[in-house]
Amino acid sequence: MSSETYLEPADSRPSPADRLHIAGLDRSLPMDGAVLSVRDLNVRFNTENGLVHAVRGVDFDLMPGKTLGIVGESGSGKSVTSLAIMGLLPTTADVSGSVMLKGKELLGLNDKAMCAYRGNDIAMVFQDPLSSLTPVYTVGAQITEALTIHNPTMSKQAKEARAVELLSMVGIPSPKDRLRAFPHEFSGGMRQRVMIAIAIANNPRVLVADEPTTALDVTIQAQVLEVLHTAQEETGAAVVMITHDLGVVAGMADDIMVMYAGKPVETGGVDDIYYNPRMPYTMGLLGAVPRVDVAEKASLVPIEGIPPNLVRTPTGCSFAPRCPLVSEACLNGEPALAPVPGGALHRAACIKSASLGADVDVHEVFSAPPRPESRFDLIPREERRAVLQLKDVRKHFPLTKGALLKRRIGTVKAVDGLSFDIREGECFSIVGESGSGKTTTLLEIMEFHSDQDGEVVIGGISNKDAADAKTKSAMRKELQMVFQDPTGALDPRFTVYEVLAEPLQNAGLAKPAIRKRIMELMELVGLQPDHVNRFPNQFSGGQRQRVGIARALAVNPRLVVLDEPVSALDVSVQAGVINLLDKLRAELGLSYLLVAHDLSVVRHISNRVAVMYLGKIVEIGEVDRVFDNPRHPYTRALLSAIPVPDPHLERTRERIILQGDLPSPLEAPKGCNFATRCPVFAALPAAKKEQCLTLEPPLEYDPPSAAAQALEAGPVPAPDQQFACFFPDGELDEDMLVVHETADHDAP
Amino acid sequence: MLKYLAKRGITYVFMIFLTTSAGYFLAVTSLKPALLEQERIPRPTPEQVANSMRLKGLDPGLSPWERYVDWLTGIVTRWDWGRSPNGAYINAEFGDRVWISTRLFLGAIILTLVIGVALGVYSAARQYKYQDRIITSYSYLAYIVPAPIAYFLVQLGAINVNETVGERIFFVTGISTPGMEPGWPQFVDMLAHYAVPTIAITLVGWGSYQIAQRQYLLDNVNADFVRTARAKGLTRNQAITRHALRVSFIPVAQSIAFTIPAIFAGGFFAEKIFAWPGVGSWSIDAISLQDVNAATATLAYGSVIFALGAILADFATTLVDPRVRVQ
Repeated sequence: MSSETYLEPADSRPSPADRLHIAGLDRSLPMDGAVLSVRDLNVRFNTENGLVHAVRGVDFDLMPGKTLGIVGESGSGKSVTSLAIMGLLPTTADVSGSVMLKGKELLGLNDKAMCAYRGNDIAMVFQDPLSSLTPVYTVGAQITEALTIHNPTMSKQAKEARAVELLSMVGIPSPKDRLRAFPHEFSGGMRQRVMIAIAIANNPRVLVADEPTTALDVTIQAQVLEVLHTAQEETGAAVVMITHDLGVVAGMADDIMVMYAGKPVETGGVDDIYYNPRMPYTMGLLGAVPRVDVAEKASLVPIEGIPPNLVRTPTGCSFAPRCPLVSEACLNGEPALAPVPGGALHRAACIKSASLGADVDVHEVFSAPPRPESRFDLIPREERRAVLQLKDVRKHFPLTKGALLKRRIGTVKAVDGLSFDIREGECFSIVGESGSGKTTTLLEIMEFHSDQDGEVVIGGISNKDAADAKTKSAMRKELQMVFQDPTGALDPRFTVYEVLAEPLQNAGLAKPAIRKRIMELMELVGLQPDHVNRFPNQFSGGQRQRVGIARALAVNPRLVVLDEPVSALDVSVQAGVINLLDKLRAELGLSYLLVAHDLSVVRHISNRVAVMYLGKIVEIGEVDRVFDNPRHPYTRALLSAIPVPDPHLERTRERIILQGDLPSPLEAPKGCNFATRCPVFAALPAAKKEQCLTLEPPLEYDPPSAAAQALEAGPVPAPDQQFACFFPDGELDEDMLVVHETADHDAP
Repeated sequence: MLKYLAKRGITYVFMIFLTTSAGYFLAVTSLKPALLEQERIPRPTPEQVANSMRLKGLDPGLSPWERYVDWLTGIVTRWDWGRSPNGAYINAEFGDRVWISTRLFLGAIILTLVIGVALGVYSAARQYKYQDRIITSYSYLAYIVPAPIAYFLVQLGAINVNETVGERIFFVTGISTPGMEPGWPQFVDMLAHYAVPTIAITLVGWGSYQIAQRQYLLDNVNADFVRTARAKGLTRNQAITRHALRVSFIPVAQSIAFTIPAIFAGGFFAEKIFAWPGVGSWSIDAISLQDVNAATATLAYGSVIFALGAILADFATTLVDPRVRVQ
């Protein structure tokens, strides 16, 4: 373990000259004092299709205790960069350039020599916590192993004490007992904490985190980011944070490097990148992400096309084929990173960066479509017909024990008394953590069987009358579904024509009519009609999802169920699909039932939203009302957990960090389900706690206050927002609130 | 764990009972020892045959159900599995033959496992290098060559060695030479008899373990948790031996437990070719000699061994995989 510490006081920012170095402007020499310096890193893989040049010249300097965010879409080379630094690429990869750790060259070291650094001076946290721990060893053994490798003389007791210390540092309760637990006894978030504990075991100088929260729920993501923050403070390590999510790094990073097609295309301080992007790709990325904190609904910025294939090295700017500002000059040679006028440490690889100031509207540059208007938008909600109604729908799974004679030992209430309706032309979303019952709700709607507990009415057809196949097929014409994974949802041996023809044949259409309808559909979803004879694998992910949408629309349904429709897509592609969904809803008067974990997407696309927790709706209402003025503590926590791509806001805002994971639905308490994790409950005096523990709060409207009545002058209609909490807007428990910085350093 | 094993044990006892009973009914309705008896010269009268059968408890006049009840009562009350048409007692013969089979296969099974798994690990660590290619090609060859042919080839090889040296080093058939004096000469004689069948069975057997172990290990060599182990500071080989190996052994451990009974019960080729009269050859002989009780006994033995294998598989899996440990 190194005895030196590189911890700097938090408020001492480097001088401008140093910042110049950080930004990598001085490319000849590694920065003095930089803990990690990467120069001209290149990685090439020999594949069946030829030599893939996955990373093409990455330079950066990482100062002690600082955080560098590497942002990019899949295939941009960000993960390969991190693995190259760690020396974990397969031996077939050709790595060149220089990686200096504390002044020592790491590239070219053999596996054994590299082992002296890995896990000691430089450590890594990986993306998928579920598969990153060895299933057959205890958590304790895996942590102690990291200690043993680099401290062979450490005593057994000392190692165990250190392991306990590490586990409590990453926030695992009763760490001593948990040392003996196996990874499968931990949830995903807990396993990621263990991964962090392993990574910081030897007080590394550099911590590389490769998408550390991508596989986790938002509330858990907030917890893990908090743990990373603590880990960085405790060890004083510099962090390289790799992510595709511009929100995640906004609050953490000091510097940002945006990568595209294996090359950094823009680097600079975090504020430069977010508030003054100078490369069209960065501008597009920022415009493509919906914001959870903004009510105004402009269309998202779609970036057309897909990233280039790196088998062929681009001759011009690698972004040129997708860039709306492309001109002849862009195709002549790849632009190098050059300083942006006005910002000395801000560099962009674009020949037009000088003209792309802060006053350029990204929506104009990318010609984002106007926000579509639906004919239903003008009709009040109450006057529109309901296309879907759920009345007290329940799905309870019996939990049994015993092999031959099954005994019922409990009930899992996956969905517990759900009622809501969806009107024509509206988008209704269900949000909640995994395990909250969102998917079960969709399955219950799709099931549509008269034996179900509760009533489902689709387009006027009730499941209670759905005895025969005819009623069911009538229902299927009203309701269609779009699935999460477009690759898995399309039969790889069907051409797009066959995929789209199947529902139409089922509906009994004649051949010429089918052909005509398919051409219409292709055009509708923005695909070229002459591509109908292609197979799904000849399309990109975004195009495949468009095929999935076209298939759902084939029979002219009125309600489309969207199960995480964009979560498998990259940010730039996602924007295009969201815009398409918006357009279709307006043009065809569709209604959507959307299930998504990304609340920013939910806010952007929906009219109404329901927040689910352990099978129950805890808050429901008009989307802007719920998002701007959340009343239920869970909604407040959920919303506060979402990182916003705005560095100032991220650094200063107060966040609610929920403790622990979603409890098992089996242990559903008698009173309010959320009491065990509730930040309001924790702050309540004991007398009031009683109510939460014994009574189940009903889902009710909030009576408008006298003040509000006076303000509106006249009778106020009850706002479209219901919640299930006895103490809305209650005081929050101090322990669950976190603010990273109180004062802002430099305003934009 | 004990409670769990006891529960599984009871289930298997019940299943063994069912298979054995079904087997007995099948044997008693299709095997007619009396017919074989009548082909003897001088031909006995049907009355004589029936009489001799009745004395051995194989009365052809009784209905299958009556004979089943008699047979079952004998086992439950006296642990008497009946007699063969030639008058031999099943119990006595059974003990001898199980002992012979065990001696023939036990060493070979252990060698097969150890060599197979070790070569699997060795070849996986050297994927696509010439060592891996040679070993894996050999394993596939052992897979496709019928076992009897491979046994004959080993026998031929042993005879060749004997001829080249000009002295009898290996016995290619038989269990032991009668009348050897105890001590060193007897031990050498035993080795000379064991060598050929053990080598032959091992050479044919290890292929499947080598292929399975290599495959499962390769599935895990690039697993995320191996990468984590390397990120901690283990070299690639250390990470593989400490982390990937144990995970990859889980499915192999399960298959081992199930292959042992298959070798035991299905080893009649080896027993015939090397002239070791064990359980496997007995079961074939029993059918050709229309021996109802012997056929049923070998079937019962097979079921017991399979049940043991299944329990062993459970046990092995729980031992190496904490995820299936019952609370």
